[in-house]
Amino acid sequence: MKRYIAHRLLQGVLLLCLVASIVFFVGRLTGNPADLMLPEDVSAEDRAALIQVLGLDGPLHEQFFIFVRNALHGDLGMSIRMRQPAVEAFFSRLPNTLAIIPWAILLAMAVGIPLGVVAALHRGGWIDRMAGAIAVLGVAIPSFWLGILLIFVFSVQLGWLPSGRMGGPSHYVLPVITLGTFLIAGFMRLVRSSMLEVMDSEYIKLARIKGLRESVVIWKHGLRNALIPVLTLWGVFVGNLITGAIVTETIFAWPGIGRLTYEAVIFRDFPLLQAVIILKSILILSINLLVDILYAYVDPRIRLA
Amino acid sequence: MLPSWPSAQAQGQAGALVFAVESLAAQTLDPILEQRPGNAVYQAAMYDSLVGFNLAKGGTGPGVAERWELAADGLSWTFFLRPSQTFHNGDKLTAQDVKFSLQRQMAPNSTAATAATMRRTIKSIDVIDDLTLRVNTNSPQISLPASLSRAVAPEGAVMPHAYIERVGEEEFRRKPIGSGPWRFLRNVPGDRIEFEAAATPHWRGTPNFKNLHILLVPEESTRVAMVRTGEAAIASIGPETMLGATRAGLQVLSVPGTMQAVFQFWGAFRPDQKDNPIAKPRVRQALSLAIDRQELIKHVMNGKASLPYPFATFGYTESFTAERWEKWSREAFRYDPALARKILAEEGYPNGFELKFANTALPGTQFMVDIGTVVADMWTKIGIRVTLKHYEWGSFQPLERGDQAALAGWASMYRTAGRPDAPWRYNSSYSPDSTQRLLGDKDNCQTACQAFVDVYRALLDERDPTKRTTLNDRMVEIIADSWTVIPIIEGMGYYAINTKKVGQFAAIPGRHELGDVFERIPHPEQAPWKK
Repeated sequence: MKRYIAHRLLQGVLLLCLVASIVFFVGRLTGNPADLMLPEDVSAEDRAALIQVLGLDGPLHEQFFIFVRNALHGDLGMSIRMRQPAVEAFFSRLPNTLAIIPWAILLAMAVGIPLGVVAALHRGGWIDRMAGAIAVLGVAIPSFWLGILLIFVFSVQLGWLPSGRMGGPSHYVLPVITLGTFLIAGFMRLVRSSMLEVMDSEYIKLARIKGLRESVVIWKHGLRNALIPVLTLWGVFVGNLITGAIVTETIFAWPGIGRLTYEAVIFRDFPLLQAVIILKSILILSINLLVDILYAYVDPRIRLA
Repeated sequence: MLPSWPSAQAQGQAGALVFAVESLAAQTLDPILEQRPGNAVYQAAMYDSLVGFNLAKGGTGPGVAERWELAADGLSWTFFLRPSQTFHNGDKLTAQDVKFSLQRQMAPNSTAATAATMRRTIKSIDVIDDLTLRVNTNSPQISLPASLSRAVAPEGAVMPHAYIERVGEEEFRRKPIGSGPWRFLRNVPGDRIEFEAAATPHWRGTPNFKNLHILLVPEESTRVAMVRTGEAAIASIGPETMLGATRAGLQVLSVPGTMQAVFQFWGAFRPDQKDNPIAKPRVRQALSLAIDRQELIKHVMNGKASLPYPFATFGYTESFTAERWEKWSREAFRYDPALARKILAEEGYPNGFELKFANTALPGTQFMVDIGTVVADMWTKIGIRVTLKHYEWGSFQPLERGDQAALAGWASMYRTAGRPDAPWRYNSSYSPDSTQRLLGDKDNCQTACQAFVDVYRALLDERDPTKRTTLNDRMVEIIADSWTVIPIIEGMGYYAINTKKVGQFAAIPGRHELGDVFERIPHPEQAPWKK
């Protein structure tokens, strides 16, 4: 097991180096932040001076070496736009994103798992088709459209909930639904296929032969085993939410790391963009590693392989 | 010593004025770390500027300085400050603070847009007495007061010298103080900035609200929803949302003269472009005649735009005969496709020609892409075969630099922001050593280019107002006749307003942002603000 973890850690470090290099060079292909900061009628002299102040005047390879050297010391640079350490900016916004992610996953599991079970039990029937349709809708509805629709109905028309921004519990409802809807489909489809497989297995038949109540067979013996693949998916979903909350956070004016990423891209804030992507990558790699370790414990075939 | 003016409560200030905006830019309260839009949106609330606005007409007017004078030799400006101005901690605002602020804007660590220009042009700054300051320049700088006016740039923001020296820069950034009508309360990155009405009467106007909350809400439909539900009183919107906002019962405020959407021709003067149809001024004029500006204003801008003046000029442009040029524009910018076709035929293109057109929009003016698309479509109606290429602004800007190889011979969309001093903008587009150099470069500066250079140089040193207006008009004429940058529409700034939350107010002409207006916004039951 230790070898397995060490191997995964090494993979993670290599992946991080690759991500950091790609972000550094690709980011710089998109233009110079000075052009977005300065008015259109600024002189070449003023532009050159600002580029120097921002530390973007040296050759690209020199900038890269400086970036690598500083990164090895834990310094991912200073945000060009906010003049604040990029790591500090990331960690000041991270709690805001983490505040909605668990609720979105909880919502998705609360709806998606029972829906998947019911669909599997009524395979081919109208309930299964309905659940399938819900799953397709969940994946197909763009989150920006869903978010705006929810604001229009529940904030503007009914006046029940705020339109956006962080605040009390009522501020969480619409962003959580918007984020969670996409995940409902994923949970439902995975649980359905997993349940179909499990319900055909010998031990389920044995449970029925033993005369256990059908509800016990389904929810205790069936679902418990069907949930093992969901564990893997859970890790993927958390990763998706950390990286993919950009749209939801933008619509609901939620000051999380999704919005921070968006702002870093829009303003060509290279140091911030590098820091955000690297730190997000570390987060996702850590979550995936944790899930893999858990999975290896749950299913010994994984660690043996 | 704290001033003895009445408290905010005693003056009847109540409630919070909530404003939702699409961007808070750098979201820092240190003026040397912010650029023009951010300064105009939120820093303006708490900082005063050395030179201010003409509230009724737009353009420059009194600010921290009541008046200013140019020395006989043209090499220094003397600014006379208003008496009895204080910072929010009670410190007196003096000429020493203005000197310190200008030096801070010019400092090597400043990200101010014109820091390098200031370093080059300002020789020294003398404090004559508490209320008098002299700025000495290396050469005559006729436009210096305009450059230090918030109507043009943020570099005139006045910061508290003694406070910053006492607490240090880092602490100042955490707990900034200014001298404006709003006092800083808190800054929540990525979310909002909160201010409280300063507890003193202010020459800019004493706020009617107790608090000012500026919210960062990037999505426009969310901003409008917030105004509809009353979560915000005012939100910035684009022209595409105006109709929806009006139908939803919101009031739409339009701020005149905030920008010009233009199209311009790159490298048309270059020898390697001599066979390109756009090298001919009459062909460029024909392309202008093919644009139905009234249709654009009606359908793309929802009626909230106007026929433009010549390039980079507005009704409030200084040293400029606006009436003459308004008349000229009505004639020159008319829609006449028949004449456009006739000109093309006379110039040897009876069947039109192929035109490469880069469509782009500067930050905050996304509607320019729609304008560019419509313009391209209008050109096809006179036989122009347009190759339209869309660029995100960040990827378009690098094309302007260097030898402009990717742009030479192309037309593109562009913008000019509303500012009262035309020569600065003209220089950035037409000077042979400028980045854009649209009339000619150092090696190819022909008749029109040379005429521009001569007039611009004369303008730099001309102090007589009448002669200055004559020169300014001549400069505008040279460029207008060159048809190298052609205005399409004069745009406005737009806001959706919930009239149950705020009363009637007007913005400052040419000033898109409301940072200098918040203090004059009344409650719904109060009398409308008058200029």
